[in-house]
Amino acid sequence: MSTSVAIKQSTSTNLSSRLFSFIPGVILLAAIGYAGKFIEQSISRYGKSHHVSLPNIEYVLWAILIGLAISNTVRIPELFKAGIATYEFWLKVGIVLLGARFLLGDVIKLGGLSLALVVIELAIAIALMTALGRAFKLKPKLITLLAVGSSICGVSAIIAAKGAIDADDEDSSMAIAAILALGAISLFTFPFIGHLLGMSNHAYGLWSGLAVDNTAEAVAAGALYSDAAGKIAVLAKTARNAMIGFVVLGYAIYWASKGQAHTVHNKALFLWQKFPKFILGFLLISLLATLGFFNKDQIGSLGNLSRWAFLLTFAGVGLRTSLREMREQGLRPFIVGAVGEVVIAAVTLGLVLGADRLFHLS
Amino acid sequence: MSSGKFKLSLDGWAVGLALLLALLVRFNILPTIPW
Repeated sequence: MSTSVAIKQSTSTNLSSRLFSFIPGVILLAAIGYAGKFIEQSISRYGKSHHVSLPNIEYVLWAILIGLAISNTVRIPELFKAGIATYEFWLKVGIVLLGARFLLGDVIKLGGLSLALVVIELAIAIALMTALGRAFKLKPKLITLLAVGSSICGVSAIIAAKGAIDADDEDSSMAIAAILALGAISLFTFPFIGHLLGMSNHAYGLWSGLAVDNTAEAVAAGALYSDAAGKIAVLAKTARNAMIGFVVLGYAIYWASKGQAHTVHNKALFLWQKFPKFILGFLLISLLATLGFFNKDQIGSLGNLSRWAFLLTFAGVGLRTSLREMREQGLRPFIVGAVGEVVIAAVTLGLVLGADRLFHLS
Repeated sequence: MSSGKFKLSLDGWAVGLALLLALLVRFNILPTIPW
Protein backbone atom coordinates (compact mmCIF):
# COMPACT_ATOMS: atom_id res chain seq x y z
CA MET A 1 0.00 0.00 0.00
CA SER A 2 2.69 2.46 1.09
CA THR A 3 4.80 1.41 -1.94
CA SER A 4 1.92 2.21 -4.30
CA VAL A 5 1.42 5.61 -2.64
CA ALA A 6 5.14 6.30 -2.94
CA ILE A 7 5.11 5.32 -6.63
CA LYS A 8 2.06 7.48 -7.28
CA GLN A 9 3.71 10.42 -5.53
CA SER A 10 6.94 10.01 -7.49
CA THR A 11 4.98 9.71 -10.80
CA SER A 12 3.04 12.88 -10.07
CA THR A 13 6.25 14.69 -9.06
CA ASN A 14 7.87 13.55 -12.31
CA LEU A 15 4.89 14.73 -14.34
CA SER A 16 4.73 18.11 -12.61
CA SER A 17 8.50 18.66 -12.93
CA ARG A 18 8.24 17.77 -16.64
CA LEU A 19 5.35 20.20 -17.04
CA PHE A 20 7.37 22.92 -15.26
CA SER A 21 10.33 22.27 -17.58
CA PHE A 22 8.17 23.26 -20.56
CA ILE A 23 7.13 26.65 -19.13
CA PRO A 24 10.17 28.85 -20.06
CA GLY A 25 10.22 27.64 -23.68
CA VAL A 26 6.46 27.96 -24.09
CA ILE A 27 6.64 31.52 -22.73
CA LEU A 28 9.39 32.23 -25.29
CA LEU A 29 7.21 30.79 -28.09
CA ALA A 30 4.25 32.91 -26.92
CA ALA A 31 6.40 36.06 -26.67
CA ILE A 32 7.82 35.62 -30.19
CA GLY A 33 4.43 34.74 -31.66
CA TYR A 34 2.77 37.71 -29.96
CA ALA A 35 5.60 40.01 -31.08
CA GLY A 36 4.90 38.88 -34.67
CA LYS A 37 1.21 39.68 -34.26
CA PHE A 38 2.04 43.01 -32.61
CA ILE A 39 4.41 44.03 -35.46
CA GLU A 40 1.80 43.17 -38.11
CA GLN A 41 -0.88 45.19 -36.30
CA SER A 42 1.47 48.12 -35.60
CA ILE A 43 2.49 48.40 -39.27
CA SER A 44 -1.13 48.23 -40.34
CA ARG A 45 -2.16 50.90 -37.76
CA TYR A 46 0.74 53.15 -38.78
CA GLY A 47 -0.22 52.85 -42.46
CA LYS A 48 -3.86 53.68 -41.71
CA SER A 49 -3.12 56.65 -39.43
CA HIS A 50 -0.56 58.14 -41.85
CA HIS A 51 -2.58 57.29 -44.97
CA VAL A 52 0.27 55.35 -46.53
CA SER A 53 0.00 52.00 -48.21
CA LEU A 54 2.41 49.56 -46.53
CA PRO A 55 2.85 45.92 -47.54
CA ASN A 56 0.83 43.63 -45.30
CA ILE A 57 3.34 41.16 -43.90
CA GLU A 58 1.47 38.50 -41.93
CA TYR A 59 2.25 37.73 -38.29
CA VAL A 60 3.16 34.23 -39.48
CA LEU A 61 6.22 35.52 -41.32
CA TRP A 62 7.22 37.90 -38.50
CA ALA A 63 7.05 35.09 -35.93
CA ILE A 64 9.16 32.81 -38.13
CA LEU A 65 11.70 35.55 -38.89
CA ILE A 66 12.08 36.57 -35.23
CA GLY A 67 12.55 32.90 -34.28
CA LEU A 68 15.11 32.44 -37.07
CA ALA A 69 17.01 35.56 -36.02
CA ILE A 70 17.18 34.44 -32.37
CA SER A 71 18.16 30.82 -33.00
CA ASN A 72 20.85 31.75 -35.53
CA THR A 73 22.48 34.60 -33.62
CA VAL A 74 22.40 33.66 -29.94
CA ARG A 75 22.83 30.33 -28.23
CA ILE A 76 19.44 29.42 -26.75
CA PRO A 77 19.87 28.34 -23.10
CA GLU A 78 19.08 24.72 -22.28
CA LEU A 79 16.28 25.93 -19.99
CA PHE A 80 14.14 26.88 -23.00
CA LYS A 81 14.69 23.80 -25.15
CA ALA A 82 12.01 21.49 -23.71
CA GLY A 83 9.34 24.18 -24.12
CA ILE A 84 10.44 25.10 -27.64
CA ALA A 85 10.13 21.44 -28.65
CA THR A 86 6.41 21.62 -27.78
CA TYR A 87 5.72 23.58 -30.99
CA GLU A 88 4.66 20.33 -32.65
CA PHE A 89 2.22 19.69 -29.79
CA TRP A 90 0.65 23.14 -30.32
CA LEU A 91 0.43 22.42 -34.05
CA LYS A 92 -1.65 19.32 -33.33
CA VAL A 93 -3.83 21.14 -30.76
CA GLY A 94 -4.41 23.85 -33.40
CA ILE A 95 -5.33 21.34 -36.10
CA VAL A 96 -7.79 19.48 -33.84
CA LEU A 97 -9.46 22.78 -32.81
CA LEU A 98 -9.62 23.90 -36.44
CA GLY A 99 -11.94 20.92 -37.01
CA ALA A 100 -14.71 23.14 -35.54
CA ARG A 101 -14.50 25.38 -38.60
CA PHE A 102 -15.18 22.51 -41.03
CA LEU A 103 -18.51 20.83 -41.60
CA LEU A 104 -17.98 17.09 -41.90
CA GLY A 105 -19.45 17.14 -45.45
CA ASP A 106 -16.75 19.62 -46.52
CA VAL A 107 -14.09 17.49 -44.86
CA ILE A 108 -15.26 14.44 -46.81
CA LYS A 109 -15.55 16.38 -50.11
CA LEU A 110 -12.27 18.28 -49.87
CA GLY A 111 -10.49 15.51 -47.98
CA GLY A 112 -11.59 13.00 -50.64
CA LEU A 113 -10.26 15.22 -53.44
CA SER A 114 -7.06 15.79 -51.43
CA LEU A 115 -6.65 12.04 -50.90
CA ALA A 116 -7.03 11.36 -54.63
CA LEU A 117 -4.38 13.98 -55.39
CA VAL A 118 -2.21 12.68 -52.52
CA VAL A 119 -2.13 9.18 -54.03
CA ILE A 120 -0.87 10.59 -57.36
CA GLU A 121 1.62 12.84 -55.52
CA LEU A 122 2.89 9.88 -53.47
CA ALA A 123 3.56 7.73 -56.53
CA ILE A 124 5.39 10.54 -58.33
CA ALA A 125 7.38 11.67 -55.26
CA ILE A 126 8.55 8.16 -54.34
CA ALA A 127 9.55 7.25 -57.92
CA LEU A 128 11.30 10.58 -58.45
CA MET A 129 13.22 10.60 -55.17
CA THR A 130 14.35 7.00 -55.71
CA ALA A 131 15.62 7.77 -59.23
CA LEU A 132 17.36 10.97 -58.11
CA GLY A 133 18.91 9.33 -55.05
CA ARG A 134 20.33 6.53 -57.19
CA ALA A 135 21.66 9.00 -59.76
CA PHE A 136 23.45 10.93 -56.98
CA LYS A 137 24.67 7.67 -55.41
CA LEU A 138 23.10 8.30 -52.00
CA LYS A 139 22.91 5.41 -49.53
CA PRO A 140 19.77 3.25 -50.19
CA LYS A 141 18.23 3.86 -46.75
CA LEU A 142 18.85 7.60 -47.01
CA ILE A 143 16.97 7.48 -50.34
CA THR A 144 14.07 5.72 -48.59
CA LEU A 145 14.01 8.36 -45.84
CA LEU A 146 14.09 11.23 -48.35
CA ALA A 147 11.34 9.57 -50.40
CA VAL A 148 9.16 9.12 -47.28
CA GLY A 149 9.88 12.66 -46.06
CA SER A 150 9.10 14.31 -49.38
CA SER A 151 6.08 12.19 -50.24
CA ILE A 152 4.22 12.33 -46.92
CA CYS A 153 4.87 14.48 -43.95
CA GLY A 154 8.42 15.49 -43.40
CA VAL A 155 10.01 14.96 -40.04
CA SER A 156 7.44 12.71 -38.35
CA ALA A 157 7.35 10.40 -41.40
CA ILE A 158 11.14 10.19 -41.43
CA ILE A 159 11.19 9.35 -37.72
CA ALA A 160 8.46 6.70 -38.22
CA ALA A 161 10.33 5.21 -41.18
CA LYS A 162 13.69 5.29 -39.38
CA GLY A 163 12.44 2.85 -36.73
CA ALA A 164 10.63 0.65 -39.25
CA ILE A 165 13.56 0.18 -41.65
CA ASP A 166 16.38 0.27 -39.04
CA ALA A 167 18.07 3.28 -40.66
CA ASP A 168 21.00 4.89 -38.85
CA ASP A 169 20.95 8.25 -37.06
CA GLU A 170 23.23 9.96 -39.57
CA ASP A 171 20.94 9.15 -42.51
CA SER A 172 17.83 10.29 -40.69
CA SER A 173 19.37 13.57 -39.49
CA MET A 174 20.56 14.27 -43.06
CA ALA A 175 17.08 13.58 -44.44
CA ILE A 176 15.45 15.71 -41.71
CA ALA A 177 17.85 18.62 -42.33
CA ALA A 178 17.19 18.50 -46.09
CA ILE A 179 13.41 18.40 -45.62
CA LEU A 180 13.49 21.25 -43.06
CA ALA A 181 15.73 23.43 -45.26
CA LEU A 182 13.41 22.93 -48.21
CA GLY A 183 10.38 23.60 -46.02
CA ALA A 184 11.92 26.92 -44.95
CA ILE A 185 12.53 27.89 -48.59
CA SER A 186 8.96 27.00 -49.54
CA LEU A 187 7.65 29.48 -46.94
CA PHE A 188 9.03 32.28 -49.07
CA THR A 189 8.53 30.87 -52.58
CA PHE A 190 5.03 29.36 -52.38
CA PRO A 191 3.07 32.55 -51.49
CA PHE A 192 5.05 34.43 -54.15
CA ILE A 193 4.16 31.88 -56.86
CA GLY A 194 0.55 31.71 -55.64
CA HIS A 195 0.14 35.49 -55.98
CA LEU A 196 1.97 35.49 -59.32
CA LEU A 197 -0.50 32.94 -60.72
CA GLY A 198 -3.48 34.61 -59.02
CA MET A 199 -4.48 31.34 -57.38
CA SER A 200 -7.73 31.07 -55.41
CA ASN A 201 -7.51 30.42 -51.66
CA HIS A 202 -8.79 26.88 -52.17
CA ALA A 203 -6.36 26.01 -54.95
CA TYR A 204 -3.39 27.58 -53.18
CA GLY A 205 -4.23 25.92 -49.84
CA LEU A 206 -4.55 22.55 -51.55
CA TRP A 207 -1.21 23.07 -53.29
CA SER A 208 0.70 23.96 -50.12
CA GLY A 209 -0.91 21.04 -48.27
CA LEU A 210 0.18 18.66 -51.05
CA ALA A 211 3.63 20.00 -51.83
CA VAL A 212 5.16 21.42 -48.62
CA ASP A 213 6.57 18.52 -46.65
CA ASN A 214 6.58 19.27 -42.98
CA THR A 215 3.14 19.88 -41.44
CA ALA A 216 4.14 23.05 -39.55
CA GLU A 217 5.65 24.59 -42.71
CA ALA A 218 2.66 23.52 -44.83
CA VAL A 219 0.26 25.22 -42.38
CA ALA A 220 2.50 28.31 -42.25
CA ALA A 221 2.82 28.49 -46.06
CA GLY A 222 -0.98 28.32 -46.31
CA ALA A 223 -1.56 30.93 -43.57
CA LEU A 224 0.97 33.26 -45.23
CA TYR A 225 -1.35 33.44 -48.25
CA SER A 226 -4.62 33.92 -46.35
CA ASP A 227 -6.58 32.57 -43.42
CA ALA A 228 -8.87 30.60 -45.76
CA ALA A 229 -5.90 29.13 -47.64
CA GLY A 230 -4.35 28.11 -44.31
CA LYS A 231 -7.52 26.23 -43.42
CA ILE A 232 -7.49 24.28 -46.70
CA ALA A 233 -3.75 23.61 -46.38
CA VAL A 234 -4.38 21.99 -42.97
CA LEU A 235 -7.06 19.74 -44.45
CA ALA A 236 -4.96 18.68 -47.47
CA LYS A 237 -1.88 18.09 -45.31
CA THR A 238 -3.93 16.07 -42.82
CA ALA A 239 -5.19 13.84 -45.66
CA ARG A 240 -1.57 13.37 -46.73
CA ASN A 241 -0.47 12.56 -43.16
CA ALA A 242 -3.16 9.86 -42.98
CA MET A 243 -1.22 7.88 -45.62
CA ILE A 244 1.93 7.66 -43.49
CA GLY A 245 1.27 4.11 -42.26
CA PHE A 246 0.80 2.64 -45.75
CA VAL A 247 4.01 4.11 -47.18
CA VAL A 248 6.13 3.24 -44.13
CA LEU A 249 4.65 -0.28 -44.10
CA GLY A 250 5.53 -0.69 -47.79
CA TYR A 251 9.14 0.29 -47.14
CA ALA A 252 9.33 -1.84 -43.96
CA ILE A 253 8.22 -4.90 -45.96
CA TYR A 254 10.71 -4.05 -48.73
CA TRP A 255 13.70 -3.74 -46.35
CA ALA A 256 12.61 -6.81 -44.34
CA SER A 257 12.54 -8.84 -47.59
CA LYS A 258 16.20 -7.86 -48.06
CA GLY A 259 16.96 -8.97 -44.51
CA GLN A 260 17.87 -5.42 -43.45
CA ALA A 261 14.90 -4.63 -41.17
CA HIS A 262 12.59 -6.43 -38.77
CA THR A 263 9.70 -8.37 -40.30
CA VAL A 264 6.28 -6.79 -39.70
CA HIS A 265 4.07 -9.58 -38.36
CA ASN A 266 0.83 -7.75 -37.57
CA LYS A 267 0.25 -5.32 -40.44
CA ALA A 268 -3.07 -3.96 -39.11
CA LEU A 269 -1.45 -3.16 -35.74
CA PHE A 270 1.51 -1.56 -37.55
CA LEU A 271 -0.86 0.68 -39.57
CA TRP A 272 -2.73 1.68 -36.40
CA GLN A 273 0.53 2.46 -34.55
CA LYS A 274 1.76 4.69 -37.38
CA PHE A 275 -1.61 6.41 -37.96
CA PRO A 276 -1.52 10.02 -36.69
CA LYS A 277 -4.22 9.88 -34.01
CA PHE A 278 -4.75 13.64 -33.87
CA ILE A 279 -6.65 13.26 -37.18
CA LEU A 280 -9.35 11.41 -35.20
CA GLY A 281 -9.60 14.41 -32.85
CA PHE A 282 -9.94 16.75 -35.84
CA LEU A 283 -12.76 14.58 -37.27
CA LEU A 284 -14.50 14.37 -33.86
CA ILE A 285 -14.54 18.17 -33.39
CA SER A 286 -15.71 18.60 -36.99
CA LEU A 287 -18.52 16.06 -36.34
CA LEU A 288 -19.56 17.92 -33.15
CA ALA A 289 -19.63 21.24 -35.05
CA THR A 290 -21.70 19.63 -37.84
CA LEU A 291 -24.20 18.28 -35.28
CA GLY A 292 -24.67 21.81 -33.88
CA PHE A 293 -22.91 21.12 -30.56
CA PHE A 294 -21.30 24.59 -30.75
CA ASN A 295 -23.04 27.87 -31.56
CA LYS A 296 -21.62 30.42 -33.99
CA ASP A 297 -19.76 32.43 -31.33
CA GLN A 298 -18.28 29.27 -29.83
CA ILE A 299 -17.06 28.14 -33.27
CA GLY A 300 -15.44 31.58 -33.61
CA SER A 301 -13.75 31.13 -30.22
CA LEU A 302 -12.47 27.65 -31.14
CA GLY A 303 -11.14 29.03 -34.45
CA ASN A 304 -9.31 31.77 -32.53
CA LEU A 305 -7.91 29.27 -30.01
CA SER A 306 -6.61 27.30 -32.98
CA ARG A 307 -4.90 30.44 -34.34
CA TRP A 308 -3.24 31.08 -30.95
CA ALA A 309 -1.97 27.51 -30.95
CA PHE A 310 -0.60 27.99 -34.50
CA LEU A 311 1.07 31.21 -33.35
CA LEU A 312 3.22 29.18 -30.93
CA THR A 313 3.94 26.71 -33.74
CA PHE A 314 5.17 29.37 -36.16
CA ALA A 315 7.51 30.80 -33.52
CA GLY A 316 8.85 27.27 -33.00
CA VAL A 317 9.41 26.76 -36.75
CA GLY A 318 11.75 29.77 -36.76
CA LEU A 319 13.51 28.81 -33.52
CA ARG A 320 14.05 25.24 -34.68
CA THR A 321 15.58 26.19 -38.06
CA SER A 322 19.37 26.25 -37.68
CA LEU A 323 21.14 27.46 -40.81
CA ARG A 324 24.51 26.26 -39.45
CA GLU A 325 23.28 22.69 -38.88
CA MET A 326 21.85 22.63 -42.39
CA ARG A 327 25.18 23.66 -43.88
CA GLU A 328 26.94 20.93 -41.90
CA GLN A 329 24.73 18.16 -43.32
CA GLY A 330 26.41 18.17 -46.74
CA LEU A 331 25.20 19.21 -50.13
CA ARG A 332 24.21 15.99 -51.93
CA PRO A 333 21.07 15.08 -49.90
CA PHE A 334 20.06 18.72 -50.10
CA ILE A 335 20.47 18.80 -53.91
CA VAL A 336 18.51 15.56 -54.32
CA GLY A 337 15.81 16.93 -52.02
CA ALA A 338 15.75 20.32 -53.76
CA VAL A 339 15.54 18.93 -57.31
CA GLY A 340 12.87 16.46 -56.19
CA GLU A 341 10.88 19.15 -54.36
CA VAL A 342 10.89 21.53 -57.31
CA VAL A 343 9.55 18.79 -59.59
CA ILE A 344 6.98 17.67 -56.98
CA ALA A 345 5.88 21.30 -56.46
CA ALA A 346 5.50 21.77 -60.24
CA VAL A 347 3.59 18.49 -60.70
CA THR A 348 1.26 19.13 -57.74
CA LEU A 349 0.70 22.68 -58.99
CA GLY A 350 -0.40 21.18 -62.32
CA LEU A 351 -2.66 18.69 -60.50
CA VAL A 352 -4.27 21.40 -58.38
CA LEU A 353 -4.80 23.77 -61.31
CA GLY A 354 -6.34 20.86 -63.25
CA ALA A 355 -8.60 19.97 -60.31
CA ASP A 356 -9.51 23.67 -59.96
CA ARG A 357 -10.70 23.71 -63.58
CA LEU A 358 -12.61 20.45 -63.22
CA PHE A 359 -14.22 21.01 -59.81
CA HIS A 360 -14.15 24.84 -59.52
CA LEU A 361 -12.49 24.73 -56.09
CA SER A 362 -13.21 28.30 -55.04
CA MET B 1 13.50 7.24 -22.81
CA SER B 2 11.19 9.67 -21.15
CA SER B 3 11.18 11.91 -24.24
CA GLY B 4 10.29 8.79 -26.26
CA LYS B 5 7.33 8.20 -23.98
CA PHE B 6 6.25 11.83 -24.42
CA LYS B 7 6.54 11.54 -28.20
CA LEU B 8 4.40 8.43 -28.25
CA SER B 9 1.59 10.10 -26.38
CA LEU B 10 1.93 13.51 -28.07
CA ASP B 11 -1.19 13.03 -30.20
CA GLY B 12 -3.18 11.85 -27.20
CA TRP B 13 -2.17 14.88 -25.14
CA ALA B 14 -2.94 17.23 -28.03
CA VAL B 15 -6.37 15.74 -28.68
CA GLY B 16 -7.10 15.70 -24.92
CA LEU B 17 -6.23 19.37 -24.48
CA ALA B 18 -8.15 20.40 -27.61
CA LEU B 19 -11.26 18.49 -26.47
CA LEU B 20 -11.00 19.99 -22.99
CA LEU B 21 -10.77 23.51 -24.46
CA ALA B 22 -13.72 22.74 -26.76
CA LEU B 23 -15.83 21.65 -23.77
CA LEU B 24 -14.81 24.72 -21.74
CA VAL B 25 -15.87 26.94 -24.65
CA ARG B 26 -19.08 24.95 -25.21
CA PHE B 27 -20.22 25.30 -21.61
CA ASN B 28 -19.16 28.97 -21.46
CA ILE B 29 -16.57 28.30 -18.76
CA LEU B 30 -14.00 30.05 -20.97
CA PRO B 31 -15.00 33.54 -22.09
CA THR B 32 -15.16 34.46 -25.79
CA ILE B 33 -11.63 34.10 -27.20
CA PRO B 34 -10.52 37.17 -29.14
CA TRP B 35 -7.86 37.27 -31.85
